[in-house]
Amino acid sequence: MITSLTNAPAGPHAKELAQRAANRRNAKVGRTVMVKVQRCDGPGKASRWETFKVTTERGMNVISALQQIAGNPVTTDGKKTTPVVWNSGCLEEVCGACTMVINGKVRQSCSCLLDDYAPNEGDTITLEPMSKFPIIRDLWVDRERLFHNLRRVKAWVPIDGTYNLGPGPREHPKDQEIRYKMSECMSCGCCLEACPQFNLEADESKWDTSFIGAHAINQARLFNMHATGKELAMERLDALMGPGGVSDCGNAQNCVKVCPKSIPLTESIAAMGRAVTLASFTKFFRS
Amino acid sequence: MAQRVIVVGGGLAGLAASVRIAEAGLSVDLFSLVPVKRSHSVCAQGGINACNEVARQQGYSEYEHFDETVYGGDFLADQHPVLEMANWAPRIIDLLDRMGVPFNRTSEGYRDLRLFGGSLFKRTHFAGATTGQQLLYALDEQTRRYESEGKVTKYEYWEFLGPVIHDGRAVGIVAQDLRTMQIRAFRADAVVMATGGCGLVYGKSTNSIICTGAAAARCYQAGAWYGNPEMIQVHPTAIPGSDKLRLMSESARGEGGRVWVPGIKQADGTWTKHPKTGADPKTIPANERYYFLEEKYPAYGNIVPRDIATREIFDICVNHGMGVAGENQVYLDLTHRDPDYLARKLGGILEIYEKFVGDDPKFTPMRIFPAVHYSMGGLWTQFTKGSYNPSEPRTKHKSGAAAPIQAAVGQGMAYGEINNMQTNVQGLYAFGEVNFAFHGANRLGANALLSCLFDGLFSGMSVVNYLKDGAPSKAPAEGLPSQPYDDSVKAEQNRVNALLNSVTPNAEPETNPYAIHKELGVEMTAACTVVKSEARLKQCLAKLGELKDRASRIRLGDNASWTNQTLSYARAVQDMLSVADAIAQGSIQRKESRGAHYRTDFPERDDAQFLKTTVARWDPASRGALIAFEEMDHTLIKPAARTYGKVDKTSKKPEPAASHT
Amino acid sequence: MTQTDSKTGFLDRNYFLLRRLHSLTGIMPIGVFLISHLLTNASIVWGRFDSREAAYGHAGAAVFQKEVNFIHSLPFLLLIEIFGLWLPIAFHAALGVVYAMSGKPNNQRYAYQDNWRYTLQRISGYVGIAFIFYHLATLRWGWTFLIPGGTQWSAEFAGSTLAQVMQGGPDGVTFKGLVVALFYFVGVSLLVFHFANGLWTSAITWGLTISAKAQKRWGVACLGVGASLMALAWAAIFGFMVLDVKSAKDAEAKILKGPLPVLEKAADAGGSSDLARTAK
Repeated sequence: MITSLTNAPAGPHAKELAQRAANRRNAKVGRTVMVKVQRCDGPGKASRWETFKVTTERGMNVISALQQIAGNPVTTDGKKTTPVVWNSGCLEEVCGACTMVINGKVRQSCSCLLDDYAPNEGDTITLEPMSKFPIIRDLWVDRERLFHNLRRVKAWVPIDGTYNLGPGPREHPKDQEIRYKMSECMSCGCCLEACPQFNLEADESKWDTSFIGAHAINQARLFNMHATGKELAMERLDALMGPGGVSDCGNAQNCVKVCPKSIPLTESIAAMGRAVTLASFTKFFRS
Repeated sequence: MAQRVIVVGGGLAGLAASVRIAEAGLSVDLFSLVPVKRSHSVCAQGGINACNEVARQQGYSEYEHFDETVYGGDFLADQHPVLEMANWAPRIIDLLDRMGVPFNRTSEGYRDLRLFGGSLFKRTHFAGATTGQQLLYALDEQTRRYESEGKVTKYEYWEFLGPVIHDGRAVGIVAQDLRTMQIRAFRADAVVMATGGCGLVYGKSTNSIICTGAAAARCYQAGAWYGNPEMIQVHPTAIPGSDKLRLMSESARGEGGRVWVPGIKQADGTWTKHPKTGADPKTIPANERYYFLEEKYPAYGNIVPRDIATREIFDICVNHGMGVAGENQVYLDLTHRDPDYLARKLGGILEIYEKFVGDDPKFTPMRIFPAVHYSMGGLWTQFTKGSYNPSEPRTKHKSGAAAPIQAAVGQGMAYGEINNMQTNVQGLYAFGEVNFAFHGANRLGANALLSCLFDGLFSGMSVVNYLKDGAPSKAPAEGLPSQPYDDSVKAEQNRVNALLNSVTPNAEPETNPYAIHKELGVEMTAACTVVKSEARLKQCLAKLGELKDRASRIRLGDNASWTNQTLSYARAVQDMLSVADAIAQGSIQRKESRGAHYRTDFPERDDAQFLKTTVARWDPASRGALIAFEEMDHTLIKPAARTYGKVDKTSKKPEPAASHT
Repeated sequence: MTQTDSKTGFLDRNYFLLRRLHSLTGIMPIGVFLISHLLTNASIVWGRFDSREAAYGHAGAAVFQKEVNFIHSLPFLLLIEIFGLWLPIAFHAALGVVYAMSGKPNNQRYAYQDNWRYTLQRISGYVGIAFIFYHLATLRWGWTFLIPGGTQWSAEFAGSTLAQVMQGGPDGVTFKGLVVALFYFVGVSLLVFHFANGLWTSAITWGLTISAKAQKRWGVACLGVGASLMALAWAAIFGFMVLDVKSAKDAEAKILKGPLPVLEKAADAGGSSDLARTAK
């Protein structure tokens, strides 16, 4: 993929990206930015807002802002408080840990530059935890359901163990490219946070019948494309045909727009739609 | 009651071990600070080395891979384990292939290969620009499979606090749930540490935020030895950030990137600091740009080997204070190249820079600085030599020549022997970056993923056999008295209580964990990375002493009994200091230069005295390291000068540098 | 999806089938009926240009009346209505409500066009149910108390009575009539949107359009379908709003009496006033 030479962003967020680029050019190092954080001390506790002042550094992202706050957590009202709790890992947008809702939209906080979001002296940037998962504390949420849903679609290749059995199946480079793109999913949960059909479900017993989410549908497609992974294709399709499966998708298509890895989630959903359609005919006429 | 194995760490090594051990029918309890899919292995980009059929027919062999690795590591790695790893590499790739890793393909559908540093053959398998991520995901998926079958139990968001050692044998661990803050002991017949490197000891590095080295430090303080702590790899070009340093691939220099800082040339030809060093680089005239690499190395220019580039950049900034804007950074300039060409050749990596810095490197020079990248050193481990034992060590293998042996299992290490990758503590194993094996004094690019997987798959069997035939077969952990476990929990609970009781509304920087960590990082980066000297290291030890004292009086800003991250952080900072101490002490005592360890006062390699493993043993009395140099295994290849074919300094041909990616 | 699992409820056991039936009924029969219904209604406008019917004085009303007559001539009409329309609509509506309730729209945060259509699909479903119920109750089941002006729709005087409903009485457009017409305007428009958008999403649901490009292409086609149907719908509403009740009633009366004897000649004579005389 050749990057645009003129730096003019394209795609569904073109306007937004252009605005951010403009912000970035105008932002000055050393300005004060207000970081407004939605805080919560634990499950079942009430949420509250706290605002902190941060002095910007070159290329500062939300993570470094939170780190700065952690060193001396005093709100703008001068109240001493506890450091904000949040999750992070690689800080390179490949691990998915630091996902949160920033200025109303879900994204990774590591790749979120303050210059883009709060370019002027005194601007405010708002941080909220993801709303579709139970809060652990502050910006840290429990995304276990996301991984649970990967188990629902048996997102793995059923190999005959780790013995030395020679190479895997050969694969056409075109198929590899498709699978690689889909396989870049880092289970961050952006697609779920933005999905109107995927909603907070605290009751674990209902996870198996609640909407499985774009990420898992995409993984089902990924493994159904693999020569050995196909072995479990019917089981994956069964899961997708059941309650909370692919038919629960409402085609709002927010998932594909917020995916940080630009995974063609809506194509995966359609592909799985076709697969379950065909599977249902096969089942009806053959078994 | 079934025998259980605890695996601490859910990166590549930990997951490979879990899968292997679960497959053998044992129950695995897998502990991880984060959901395992978010482990640091995802950050590896380049690829994974293995001899392959194409390279083999071109004259490459497993043996040559072994030779390259030993040579790249400046002969500090025990050679038998490295041989076994190289021999296993092709079968590991096959296995990953079967697991569905989307390796790049040739038009005929075979796995594609790329050329990587340290070899003349294409032997690096890759999946796009995120090989580590793809490999980790494949193992994560297999683990999930065993998890759904009930053979693996995950404890994610649990922090390892220390091994439980009873009768000189590891029989479990103490861990804390980072959400509920519950501390409890877990029984196990063997404990596998797979907790990665210690980049955070340096404050900012290319490592993930979880790579504190605290888990290894806790084993070390519990009596496990630490090998070659001073061997820390520094990557010459990373993007400075206020939260972390992100890798900038060497290919940026390969494609014509020029390294410079603003400067004023004096009459005597030397350069001094530019008065407006922080000004927009485009406004700095050509004669005020100090292309120090090109000037000092006219033959090689900007593509000098990495260690030289690293040292020179470091020298310009740290010793001469000429870094851009007075900070530790220099320009890596591609703006003279055609932007269209750059987009085609370097698109992906330049996007990373733009994403995190905000400037487009096609039009604005990048600011870069070397960054701590990988810990070759780690927990000291044992092995049982395999069947290949020539009477005399051979000379360096001539590239492309016939290998003296055909690869087979068990030539390097004896497969399944229970001491393979076991630390000096019985039942306590160390897999992956956390051990010191394989990479010696310098790691070859694309060998890290391999060593992690190899440990898990090869030495996983050793763990299985240890449970079958070793001490646990006679005295399973299940039947042990509860006292050692209770004691360990109590000790950790006391430590936590002490930290929680320290909470104060107005923590002084003196005892603030964030401040202590920051100072630790600055000090370690200045003294224990690129250039080291006795004088500076002594200064560093003094500083570490001060930090240790301050850390013992650490004060938290949060006394929450629920999800208290500050507590966990402060505790890690305390433990990181013991690793820092071992690094500094090892650096002082290794009075030579080898691989990543460069001493200005001892610039040459000294095989007579230091072709030995540095072993750091924790001394509870001094709360510091006791360093000893132990004999090591160099019976297969005779140490040769590590020149990478460099004939003399005026040679026009650039030497292929050992890649670090 | 196993039929043997007795612990799960009927809905869960037949989850996929019900989902797909829901999607299918939206297109067939409901969507197909919607198209034909809108074509029929719009005949009040396009019928005006049918010179063959000019002899009735008001060609639009005549064509419309004949269309209605044709429908009412179908055998077992009530059975067709019940099993071919009312039950499928009830089924589609009931499941639709259950499905729609499972979502939580978030358009404020994610104000993308696709997301707006997601929300509008659900709103149009709710409003559509209310509208269809009102429409059926007042015009088919004769719950005239729900009609301002209390007009009783009659199949024999289809156009003129409908116009009275929409106009609020026999003497031209009143405020009450405007309210009814507005409700029709909103209800029908939303239903047309619901159908066109449903046509687009169903192609994804069934897996007909997979690539983003194909989805976009099909989207354009659905936009075309929607725009055409919208034109028909608005034309019909407009047509009834401006329909001259009296002349429409005349035309309907003629049809009621039977075929015109000298249609060809009458047509040759031209002019509706002449025709009117001839008929009398």
